[in-house]
Amino acid sequence: MEEQPTKPVKDGLIAQSYIPTDQIATVLYLADRLEKPLLAEGPAGVGKTELAKAWAAATGRELIRLQCYEGLDETKALYEWEYAKQMLYTQLLRDKLNNLLSDADSLRSAADRLAAEEEVFFSQRFLLQRPLLKAILNPKPTLLLIDEIDRADAEFEAFLLEVLSDFQITVPELGTLKAAHRPIVILTSNNTRELSEALKRRCMYLFIGYPSLEEELRIVEMKVPALGAKLARQAVEFVQRLRNLDLKKSPSISETLDWARALVLLNAKQLDQDVLDQTMTVLLKHESDLQRTQRAIQTGRNRNDEGRRKG
Amino acid sequence: MHERIVAFVKALRAAGVRVSLAESLDSFNALEQLGISDRQLFHDALLATLVKDASQQAQFEELFPLFFGHGDAPMISGANGLSGLDPDELQQLRQEIAQLRERIRELMQRLMDGQNLTPEELAALARSSGINHIQSLNQRRWVERRMEQQMGLNEFKQALEALLKQLEEGGMDAAALTEIMQQMQGNAQALRDQISQFVGSGLAERMSNDYNPQTGDDLQHRPFGSLSDADLQRMRQEVRRLAALLRSRAALRQKRDKAGQVDIKRTMRNNMRYDGVPMKLEYRKKQQKPKLVIICDISTSMRPVAEFMLRMIYELQDQVSKTHSFAFIANLHDITEQLNDSRADISVNDVLESIPPGYYNTDLGHSLDTFLHSHLSTVDWRTTVIIVGDGRNNFNNPRLESLQTIRRHAKRLIWFTPEDRWQWGTGDSDMQLYAPLCDRVHLVTNLAELTAAVDRLLAN
Repeated sequence: MEEQPTKPVKDGLIAQSYIPTDQIATVLYLADRLEKPLLAEGPAGVGKTELAKAWAAATGRELIRLQCYEGLDETKALYEWEYAKQMLYTQLLRDKLNNLLSDADSLRSAADRLAAEEEVFFSQRFLLQRPLLKAILNPKPTLLLIDEIDRADAEFEAFLLEVLSDFQITVPELGTLKAAHRPIVILTSNNTRELSEALKRRCMYLFIGYPSLEEELRIVEMKVPALGAKLARQAVEFVQRLRNLDLKKSPSISETLDWARALVLLNAKQLDQDVLDQTMTVLLKHESDLQRTQRAIQTGRNRNDEGRRKG
Repeated sequence: MHERIVAFVKALRAAGVRVSLAESLDSFNALEQLGISDRQLFHDALLATLVKDASQQAQFEELFPLFFGHGDAPMISGANGLSGLDPDELQQLRQEIAQLRERIRELMQRLMDGQNLTPEELAALARSSGINHIQSLNQRRWVERRMEQQMGLNEFKQALEALLKQLEEGGMDAAALTEIMQQMQGNAQALRDQISQFVGSGLAERMSNDYNPQTGDDLQHRPFGSLSDADLQRMRQEVRRLAALLRSRAALRQKRDKAGQVDIKRTMRNNMRYDGVPMKLEYRKKQQKPKLVIICDISTSMRPVAEFMLRMIYELQDQVSKTHSFAFIANLHDITEQLNDSRADISVNDVLESIPPGYYNTDLGHSLDTFLHSHLSTVDWRTTVIIVGDGRNNFNNPRLESLQTIRRHAKRLIWFTPEDRWQWGTGDSDMQLYAPLCDRVHLVTNLAELTAAVDRLLAN
């Protein structure tokens, strides 16, 4: 069979110990080729951020991360003038300034002379680079990760559109700054709110859900090899069953891994009641979820006993 | 292939997925990169470029196989497939089949020889099964069943059993019988698949041909009461669109708002480090996002307005995250939790179903009283209280003093009513009594008015 064009993507990610599904590899490949931002959505903890990190490492790009939160604005995301530094320089250079201006005969000529030196104070020296500008100005190839975009306000989203379409930023005092390398952009969203149509339209879309049993097993075996094949399978099967319960917060892959590590630390040989009691809080973060799970396990056990008696 | 994809995009749109021109262009670009030989890659490429909403992937998955099916499942032909049979046994099988009734004989022969239906045969079969009268994909199973019936597939099981019995009596051994049974069943399934595929893609194509998007303009000005079911469906989409519009307007408004008044105190304080030189101006806090309490009359007369109001609020939750919603007919119910469900239609339906309409049992006054005693804590000086209702109180005590107390606690009190001023005070309407207590009364009879009212709400 002909080799799939997406195979290098897959291999690269696996080399970074990230196990991608076919879909992930395909979408990543396309985003790279078509130079489009990639929007990854899905429940928390399924490896969206991890994907960006792995892909940055696989392609040898520098990862620049912009964590979004409510109230994030341009000055926090793009750039800011460092007033304090400017101030300090002016203070320290006062003598120099006096020299420069002392022989000016009128106020006007003094102002003109000062204006001629203006670029000293509005140069990149005093520009505090925030992640977006950093990604654009970075001389090395870059991967820009815009994490949890759904937490930012809608207005920030609109502003982001502008940056993502041209990869250039206009600073009024300096002119337009253009990207040396077009960064790869990955946006992640936990879907806490609907993103705007305009943003979605510009992105490749990837929904990462919970993995299948086999996929999750591979991930656990790769990340926590000390667990042992048999116990790993039992653990993953258990987590997969938990996801079918109607829980407030279903355990995600990162929680499965934490749990697997906990099992290794406790030197567990099998999943019995004791081990579960000790470690369940690693998987479930709500009291009501814990209780519900206990009940489900109990009924499951009763049913098994009955079955055994009948059998 | 291009036309096929264009048709597919059209079908997606008909199924309610928003696909823009730029996105369908993206899908072509993506296919240029990946080629179309690998089915899985092809599928993933289209999915990533066309569908940007996880909840709409189901529609994609339903339509995809209809447009880019596997092709006809190959049938195994009797001549080389029934390898376990010797020529004599094959002869015996043929003879038995020849004894059968006409229609079932044709079918069995076809199954034994492994002949797929030709496109012409399929088309003829579909036509006589009434495919041309079908409007939606939901009726797909119905056409399929009729086509299977025409083919005689319904009687297939019995016929096969009878046939096997005949052959057994004729002295055929068990292995050969199993072989025949398996092949016949496999081929019958392949035939069913072929029919299903044909019907599905036929319907999907028709859907995409018939689909022409309508703008919501005419809908916006139609009264809520006079909508047909299809209109309601479109109206719900329209609500989403308008809500998105309102949301970005509100966001913009907040953004511009920042360039408003300078906050002298904060400016002076924060510029101490620059020696008191105001290097950086501080502006007054951004506009407060509104806090809302909505009290909704959902008795029969009010249902359409209430539904769309609730939907609108649901969609806007970003902007008005601090919302408490209540619904009442005879009693007041807190529906805030119910509206927090992940999908608008589910949660709104949930509310409307959990509080069934009764017969002339609306009691607005009592509900206001309940609110005053149990839920007044949701109201503070920043809260806007909205009452959605026609003020028809069934001649119960209007309890104006309760409303007055609520008004005193809130920032303002707004009333959305679907009835015009001249109807106030007629019959059991207490609207003319309530109206003077409100800061504003909005007449909301159609979507345009509802949008305008909500917009004004977000504006200040």
